[in-house]
Amino acid sequence: MKQIKVVHYLNQFFAQIGGEEKADIPPESKSGPVGPGMAFKGAFGDAAEIVATVACGDSYFNENPDVALAAILDMIASFEPDIVVCGPAFNAGRYGVACGAVATGVREKLNIPAITGMYVENPGVDLYKQSVHIVSTKDNAAGMRDAVALMVPLALKLARGEEIGTSAEEGYIPMGIRKNFFDKKRGSRRAVDMLLKKMAGEPYETEFPMPDFDRVVPNPAVKDVSKAKIALVTSGGIVPKGNPDRIESSSASKYGKYDLEGIRDLDAQTYETAHGGYDPVYANEDADRVLPVDILREFEKEGKIGSLSRYFYSTVGNGTAVASAKKYARAIGEELVADGVDAVILTST
Amino acid sequence: MKLEVGYIPIRDIQFGPTSKVDGNVLYVNQDELSRLLLQDEAIESVALDIARPGESVRITPVKDVIEPRVKVHGGGGIFPGWCAKVDTVGSGRTNVLKGAAVVTAGKIVGFQEGIIDMSGEGARYTPFSTLNNLVLVVEPKQGLAQHAYEKTLRLAGLKAAEYLGKLAADIEAEEVHTYETLSLLEGVRAYPDLPRVGYVLMLQSQGLLHDTYVYGVDAKQIIPTLISPTELMDGAIISGNCVSACDKNTTYHHLNNPVVQDLFAEHGKTLNFVGVIITNENVFLADKMRSSDRTAELCGYLSLDGAIISQEGFGNPDTDLIMNCRKIEAKGIKTVIITDEYAGQDGASQSLADADEAADAVVTGGNANEVIHLPAMERIIGSIDAVDHIAGGWSGSLNEDGTITAELQVITGATNELGFNTLSAR
Amino acid sequence: MIITNNPAVTAAYEQMKNVRYVEGSYRDVLVEVRNLVHIGHELVTHPLMGSLKPNETPYRSVVVSDEPVQGCHTEAILIIEESIAVFDRFARTARPDRGAHASEIAKRDFREIDLSLLKSALDA
Repeated sequence: MKQIKVVHYLNQFFAQIGGEEKADIPPESKSGPVGPGMAFKGAFGDAAEIVATVACGDSYFNENPDVALAAILDMIASFEPDIVVCGPAFNAGRYGVACGAVATGVREKLNIPAITGMYVENPGVDLYKQSVHIVSTKDNAAGMRDAVALMVPLALKLARGEEIGTSAEEGYIPMGIRKNFFDKKRGSRRAVDMLLKKMAGEPYETEFPMPDFDRVVPNPAVKDVSKAKIALVTSGGIVPKGNPDRIESSSASKYGKYDLEGIRDLDAQTYETAHGGYDPVYANEDADRVLPVDILREFEKEGKIGSLSRYFYSTVGNGTAVASAKKYARAIGEELVADGVDAVILTST
Repeated sequence: MKLEVGYIPIRDIQFGPTSKVDGNVLYVNQDELSRLLLQDEAIESVALDIARPGESVRITPVKDVIEPRVKVHGGGGIFPGWCAKVDTVGSGRTNVLKGAAVVTAGKIVGFQEGIIDMSGEGARYTPFSTLNNLVLVVEPKQGLAQHAYEKTLRLAGLKAAEYLGKLAADIEAEEVHTYETLSLLEGVRAYPDLPRVGYVLMLQSQGLLHDTYVYGVDAKQIIPTLISPTELMDGAIISGNCVSACDKNTTYHHLNNPVVQDLFAEHGKTLNFVGVIITNENVFLADKMRSSDRTAELCGYLSLDGAIISQEGFGNPDTDLIMNCRKIEAKGIKTVIITDEYAGQDGASQSLADADEAADAVVTGGNANEVIHLPAMERIIGSIDAVDHIAGGWSGSLNEDGTITAELQVITGATNELGFNTLSAR
Repeated sequence: MIITNNPAVTAAYEQMKNVRYVEGSYRDVLVEVRNLVHIGHELVTHPLMGSLKPNETPYRSVVVSDEPVQGCHTEAILIIEESIAVFDRFARTARPDRGAHASEIAKRDFREIDLSLLKSALDA
C-alpha cells in the first residue's frame, strides 16, 4: 500500500516558534513533523509520513481569517497531501477555531480529507463539527497521547476512503447530522423496549439526543426595583473608544471593567464595540443599543430604579470558550456582590 | 373489555360481478359500490381502481387509507358515529380483511396529500405498498367548498371500507387475536408486581384538513379522557387529517395502532398495559395548558409507572408533546416519546420545534426532509401534477421521464409517529 | 387581536374583531407578534399552527390579547422566539414555487387553510 502523505497544522506554540508573544506570526511551513507531530509520526508508523508542518499564530489567524486561510491552503496544497491533520487544540479557543477553519477549508476548497481534535467545549466545535470530523480530546495537552491514539486511525481511514463508523465508535464529536436508516424493529416496539429499560433503571440509548440545555434556575424576583442598584454586564463587546484593554474580537481572553461615573449616554465618539461576530455599524453609532446606559439613567432620574451601578463589565461572547465565560462570570460576580448590586441586566447580541 | 379480532388474509383483489371473498381473493362489484357511494349528492363521479403490491403503480394525491373491518358480534358497529350509531365498541368479535385497504384520492387542495408507490424505492417507505388497495378517486360537484369536499371524501372512504368489511362477516378467520383490558381493580389484582404502563395518544386537532374524530366527535372538543385500546380496533377514532402525508395518522393507522399492539404483546408479561389516554393538539395555548394538565393528572390518577406518548404533526403539536412529557415526568412517571424530525435536507438543522431535557427517551420515525428519488411508474392512479404541490415536492421535482425527486414528506405514512415503521434516524 | 398578512382573514374578521394587518411576509407577522409579546400581550394561539411548513405557505395569522397584560410571559416569549427560529431554519431550504412564489391557485388554497384554522380556533 502506498505510504500516505500527511500535512500537519499547528499554532505557534505547538510548532515551537514561541508563546503568546508570537501569536501574531503569519503562516509558515517547514518539512517533516514538529512538536506533537513526532507523537503522530510514531503512531502512524510506516502507514503514513508527515511530509510537512504548517504553522500560524493564533492571533494572526483570528484577526485575518480570510488572508491566513488562503495562504495556509496554498502552502498545504503545495505538498500534495493525502490527508491534513490539525492540532489537536484541546481547550484553546482561538487555536480550535483556526484548526476547524483550516480542516474545513482543506476539505471544501482542496477536496482533500482532513481531521482535527479538540475538547468538547472548545468554541471551534460548535462552529465546525458538522463540516469536519473533530476527535474529542481532553481539555489540556496532558491528553495528547489519547488524542493521537484516536486521530491516527481515523485519519488513515479517511485518507484511504474507508467507511467511517459512528461517533461513538471512532471517537469524534457527534456531527449532529441526521441520517435515516431502517431499524430491525418498528418504532412502537423500540418505544416499548426503551420504556421497560427506563422504568427498570437500566441504561438505554435515546434515538434523538435533546440539545444541551445549560439551564440556570433564576433567582427570586427583585422585591422593589425602584430601590434596586442595577449593574450592566455585556458580552456584546461594548468598550471605550479605542478598546484600551485590547479585548479580542473573538475568543476573548479577558473582560473589561469601565467607569460610568458622570456618563449619561454612550455615543460614537466615546464608545464602540470590539465584537467581531455581528455587523458593528449600529453599535458603533450608538453603543446604548447594546448597553442601555441612556435608558437606565432616565429610569434612575425618574425613580424607576434605585441607581445604576458605577462600573459596567464587558467582554466579547463571539467564540468564547464556556470555561472562560464561567471564569469571568465568577470574578465579575464577586465584585458585583461587593458593590452591593441587587440585579444585573445582561445583554448579548 | 375483551375483543377477539379475526384475520381473513387477502392476497389479491379483483373486480367481479359479485362482491365477495373467495379463498384469499377479494372481489369487488364496481357498479354496486359506485352506486352506493354516489348516493352522496355532493359527489359528481367516482372512479374505482386497483393497486396491488409489486405493481408499477403510483397513487396520488392520497387522502386517507382505511382497513375493511366488520363487527361480527359484541355491540355497536365499525366506525361508530359515522357508519354506525354511537354505541360503544371494542368488545365481542371483529373480523378484518387483512392485506386489503381502501385508499381515497382526491384533490381537495393541491398539496399536503401523499404518494403511495406500489414498487420501487418509494414502496420501501410506506406500509401501504404491501396491501391490496381499492382506490377511490372522487370528483366533487362543481363549486363544492373545501371542507364539504373533505367530509364527502372521508365518508366515502369509510362507507367503502364498511361495504367491503361486511364481506368478512361470515368467513372463518385464519388467525384470531384476543385483546383484553381489565378494569382498574382487576388489573391491580392480576398483575400486582408488573410496572403499570399507559399510552398517551395525541390526536391532530387544528381545523380543516387537520382533524380527528372520536365516536364522531371532533377531537378539538374533547378534554383528555380514557379510552379502551380495543375501541380503537373498531374504528372509534378516524382521521380527517390530510396534511403532511408522511406523519399524518390514517384511519388504517388508528385501527392498527402499533403502540397498542406492542403494549398488548407485553401485557401480563413484563408490564401491565393499563389503558389509553387520548388528548388533542389544539391551537389555543390555553387549550394546550388544559389538555396537558389533565393528561398528566390522569396518568397520575392511574398510578402509572411509565407512559408512551405519540404525537401527530409538527410545530404546534411539538409544543403539546413536550408539555405532556414534562408534566408527566414531573409526577415521577417515566416517559418515552415518539416523534419524527424535520432536520433539513442536509440533516443538519435542529429537528424538533420544541425541546426539553425531560424528553430524554425519544423514538424517531426519521427525518422527513431527507431527499429521495422515485422511479417512474407505468400507471398513475389519481393526478400526478399534484406532486409538485405536495409538501416536500417543489417545482421541477416531477421529472420529464416520470421520476420524482422530492423529500420523504411526500410519501404517505413514511415517518409515522405512532412508530408504525422501522425507519429511524441517528 | 389578530395579527395577519392574510387578506382573507382581514376580510372575514375586521368587522368583529381587532385585526392588525401586516403588509409583508409570514416572518413579518411573527416579528410583529414577538414585538407585542415582549411588551406584555398574551399569546393566544400557537404561531406555528397547522402542518404547512413555514417555507410553504406565505400566510400566517396569530391571535394575541387585545391589550398588554401584567405578569411574567416567559412561556409566550419562548414560544414566539422559538417559532421565529424554526421559521429561519426552514427558510434555508429554497422552495422556488412556494411561499411568496406560489402560484395563484396554491396561494388561494393557503389563504383558505390559514383562515379555516383560525376560524376553528376562534369559533370553537
